[in-house]
Amino acid sequence: MTLCQLFLQSEASYAVVSELGELGIFQFKDLNMKVNAFQKKFVSEVRRCEEMERKLRYIEKEIKKEHLKIPDYGENPKAPAPKEMVDLEATFEKIESELREVNTNAEALKRNFLELTELREVLRKTQTFFTAQGQEMSNIVGEAQHALVHDEGTTSGQAVQLGFIAGVIPREKVPPFERMLWFACRGNVFLRYEEIQQSLEDPQTGEPKIKAVFMIFFQGEQLKARVKKICEGFKAALYPCPESSQERQEMFRGVTTRLEDLKTVLNQTEDHRRRVLVGAQKEIRSWIIKVEKIKAIYHTLNMFSFDISHNSLIAEGWCPIQSLEDVRRVLKDGEKLSGSTIPSILHPMKTHETPPTFFKTSRFTQGFQNIVNAYGIATYEEVNPAPYAIITFPFLFSVMFGDAGHGTLMFLFGLWMVLKEKSLLAAKSNNEIWNTFFGGRYIIMLMGLFSIYTGMIYNDAFSKSFNIFGSAWKSNYTEGDMMGDGETATLVFDPAKYYRDSTPYPFGIDPIWQSAKNKITFLNSFKMKMAVILGISQMLFGVCLSVFNHLHFKIVIAIFCEFLPELIFLLALFGYLIFMVYYKWLVFDVTQSGCAPALLIQYINMFMFKYDPPKSDCDVQATFYPNQQTIQTVFVIAAVASVPVLLLVKPFYLRSVHNKKVLAKNALGALSTDALIPNEHTSEQSTSKNVTHVETPSVSGEGSSDIEMGTQPPPAPEKDTNENGKSQSKQNGGDDMKDINLSVNNIEDTSAMVLAHDDDEEEFEFSEIFIEQAIHTIEFCLGCISHTASYLRLWALSLAHAQLSEVLWNMVLHIGLSMDLPYIGSLIIFAVWMAWANLTIAVLLVMEGLSAFLHTLRLHWVEFQSKFYRGEGYIFLPFSFKHILDIDSLDELK
Amino acid sequence: MMPELSFNIDHGYLEGLVRGFKCGILKQTDYLNLVQCETLEDLKLHLQSTDYGSFLANEPSPLSVSVIDDKMREKLVVEFQHLRNHCLEPLATFLDYITYSYMIDNIILLITGTLHQRPINELISKCHPLGSFEQMEAIHIASTPAELYNAVLVDTPLAPYFIDCISEQDLDEMNIEIIRNTLYKAYLEDFFNFCKNLGGATAEVMCEALAFEADRRAFIITINSFGTELSKEDREKLYPCCGNLYPDGLSKLAQAEDYDQVRQVAEYYASYKELFEGAGTNPGDKTLEDKFFEHEVKLMKHSFMHQFQFGVFYSYVKLKEQECRNIIWIGECVAQRHRAKIDSYIPIF
Repeated sequence: MTLCQLFLQSEASYAVVSELGELGIFQFKDLNMKVNAFQKKFVSEVRRCEEMERKLRYIEKEIKKEHLKIPDYGENPKAPAPKEMVDLEATFEKIESELREVNTNAEALKRNFLELTELREVLRKTQTFFTAQGQEMSNIVGEAQHALVHDEGTTSGQAVQLGFIAGVIPREKVPPFERMLWFACRGNVFLRYEEIQQSLEDPQTGEPKIKAVFMIFFQGEQLKARVKKICEGFKAALYPCPESSQERQEMFRGVTTRLEDLKTVLNQTEDHRRRVLVGAQKEIRSWIIKVEKIKAIYHTLNMFSFDISHNSLIAEGWCPIQSLEDVRRVLKDGEKLSGSTIPSILHPMKTHETPPTFFKTSRFTQGFQNIVNAYGIATYEEVNPAPYAIITFPFLFSVMFGDAGHGTLMFLFGLWMVLKEKSLLAAKSNNEIWNTFFGGRYIIMLMGLFSIYTGMIYNDAFSKSFNIFGSAWKSNYTEGDMMGDGETATLVFDPAKYYRDSTPYPFGIDPIWQSAKNKITFLNSFKMKMAVILGISQMLFGVCLSVFNHLHFKIVIAIFCEFLPELIFLLALFGYLIFMVYYKWLVFDVTQSGCAPALLIQYINMFMFKYDPPKSDCDVQATFYPNQQTIQTVFVIAAVASVPVLLLVKPFYLRSVHNKKVLAKNALGALSTDALIPNEHTSEQSTSKNVTHVETPSVSGEGSSDIEMGTQPPPAPEKDTNENGKSQSKQNGGDDMKDINLSVNNIEDTSAMVLAHDDDEEEFEFSEIFIEQAIHTIEFCLGCISHTASYLRLWALSLAHAQLSEVLWNMVLHIGLSMDLPYIGSLIIFAVWMAWANLTIAVLLVMEGLSAFLHTLRLHWVEFQSKFYRGEGYIFLPFSFKHILDIDSLDELK
Repeated sequence: MMPELSFNIDHGYLEGLVRGFKCGILKQTDYLNLVQCETLEDLKLHLQSTDYGSFLANEPSPLSVSVIDDKMREKLVVEFQHLRNHCLEPLATFLDYITYSYMIDNIILLITGTLHQRPINELISKCHPLGSFEQMEAIHIASTPAELYNAVLVDTPLAPYFIDCISEQDLDEMNIEIIRNTLYKAYLEDFFNFCKNLGGATAEVMCEALAFEADRRAFIITINSFGTELSKEDREKLYPCCGNLYPDGLSKLAQAEDYDQVRQVAEYYASYKELFEGAGTNPGDKTLEDKFFEHEVKLMKHSFMHQFQFGVFYSYVKLKEQECRNIIWIGECVAQRHRAKIDSYIPIF
């Protein structure tokens, strides 16, 4: 990874960035961070893109409205040249305006159509209403009048002119409308309404609406005006309705013919609209991609700084060294494309900045890398634990999940996802849970595979055993013994008598243990020790990996003062524990096993330095082997001795190195000023010069010791005292309390000098480094103990898993299988099997699987990676169209 | 019994939501960027990088300030409706109370519009969507307050506030102003009592905010009444009686005859004294209105310091209103190329 500067001709820059975007190998740095969004150079182009996007969205919306599908051919067109952008703009403009025109036309037509249909409905309804109420208007008037002024029976004979208006209103507005009429006209109007059965289409949104026809009868002009105002307020459409039945019928006929005409016109408009949309439909996806790319390019170009004098753009960014050639090639191509005469230049830069971390991954390793990245992105050029995780991760998982049956199911699930990868990827699910599982398909497959393996070793499949090699145990018990009263509990196979031959069982656990009463005790001992062995081995491996980090970063001191003490500490204490486990397994056989010393007590005694002579032949306090005391004492002392080494050496070494560097710099400064003296010819001047040169240290010296400054020594001796002080402090280290004042002074001096002389140098803070080292030491030493204990989760989870599956078998399927019912039993067993299978999947596979996965994750992140992995880097995010368009999944398949 | 304990059961989600919304309110740095805009397109570009997101993305160019205003308002309304739709009592009533003030404004707008013979459809589009109600569109049939009450408002939640202004007089400008202020007075007092009855932190925060609102109205009414035919007795009737000025300050205000006398009344109240001192009419000075707004913003910000109370909802709406005003101000300045006064927005955070 290297920091590069690109000098791009402004004509070529577009093509180059476009090509880099296709490749996705260059991470641009934003050089215009402080510039406002709208003050950047290519802001107008970005705005044009946004305008195009808006148009595209409009077209897309229209297409979707028409229920046309947008086909996805998986095409990936290149970003068009800037010149073509104008063409695109013109095309979109044309389609958009055409669509808008068609739409406004269609809308107007539809509105017309709606109005006519409403009018027709009004006419029809009034007609039926009037026919129902009586042929003549006068009848109605009389009746309505009667209804309205019923209390004034005497005046009813007078012919009062009643007017009416008819209109259409959305159904949901009818009740408030009615109420409002009542309130506003104080009950002096008469409202009739009826629903229109046919659903009408809203001309703007195209949504169906249900409306009602209403008729209002009233008396007098004033009321009419008021009623009309209310109608207006409620946006009710009023339609002229002739009073006589004949006129109504005529009008009805006229309206119907006009409706027919309108319908044909409407259909034609619809056809036209559809044609336009179908034309756009095929291309729209590639257009969207193109516009997105153009926009991304201009956004990137906005991150460049502009050099007016050379009419070129300067870009900075990170690029993998491997891909430098590609970048050069792209630059050349860009030149050719743009036809510019001045070449674009790639200029690698040296920098103190830490480059981003970049790992090339494949579909297979991606999942494992993700697991590591979730903890922290690797520091640049650090050992990447992901490749090791490919094996250790599924393995540790399987130790906890050890069951061949469940493993097979999991493996098949993973295998299915891997085989169906392409079609599943193409389906592009949005389900987050599914995507998580799918992203880890290779991990799941491997976890299943490894679980089959450990399941075979545990000889456990759905809590049952395979009997492949037969049992190595033989039984001398007769049936009478077995059925004997009360004595069954004491029937125990004594390995000395009943183990058939002394060779170990060929593979895994003997199936006979499945039915043994002391199965758990036996397996616990085995699994616990195995967990400790696996854990310590993995930690040891982690410590060994740290060597590669030290070697790569050339920190020799760390190998001797960090790696070695750590290794000694771990091996002497915990490596020895493994040794004892194996020793006990190998050395003590059946005959001595009763008298074998207890591991735990031995281990505790090792730290207590307690070695009692054996009281009898069969004493668990006895030592394992001769000279055990000497060896163990040496180990404990070595381990304890390595702690101060780990704690102290590195910080003090670093400080002395730093002080030396400062001294060297000082000497260099002194030499140059010495050289200046003869040239100046006047000693006074030179002295004053010298004093100004070493101003900072002398000023600080003034504060600390007056005597020194009071004598006003010549500059050179003063340096000597400085030097003396430093060498003194160096010799004494930090151990000597008397000199602590002096050394503190010196540190102040040096830091001041550093600031004065060298800005590049990082500030050296001794206390910080020391505290950091102290934390590291404590973390490592305590960590070794707690992490070893932490690995016991391997045993605990494996035990839990085995027990759960056994319980499930015994409590559910076993009951079903042991029923002695002819025929009906088969039905019951079917139902019971369903319950068992579902519980197996839900609890044992999914829940237990997740929990084992989490524990494995923890073991890797905390216990393993803490031994060597810093994870302080940041990820390499190249400028890539794939990321921007989120079509990487498609591309991966090609 | 400790309403804080059970507050989150009913209102925790919405409070969290509104506090999240609050984080989207533009900061001082955003305003500094907005002020530098050359065109409305620039404004849009910058607003896109804030919480407003792509709210203007589907608007065809050229933009106008009113489009921005509508869209911002729409966003606030969508957020508010979401809160309203998900809330439980008593928060639901509380949120309804917030909308009442918009309803009052809408009614007044419609009546004034009808007086000036403007078509109702044009007026409706100018109404604040938070305060829209069903009968609103039929408001123009009323020509007297009594009619207005009987025909339109009787079914709305504003009906009880309207009781005091029923009369058979014709509606004219003066009447409308009186109606508006009477409605507001009744509304504020009602809201004040409602919050007081809720008790707890809500009462603490909201009573302070509403008291300020009431006092502000009293001051503004007094100052605006100089030189009009409004009598002192009528004026006194319009003062909301729930503020800090009640009762002494209000009776003094009722006697005030010019700006200086109002100022003297404010002298007695530390917080208002400050506002009157800082305000001036000279160019470069902040107006009294701006000073009041600033104080309001301060109060609203403070309400976010309390937890387990409804004040945050009120504050959020008010702060968002202020933000809209700010952006519109800046937008207008940009659109009219009148940059001299562009800085007189009121920063919130």
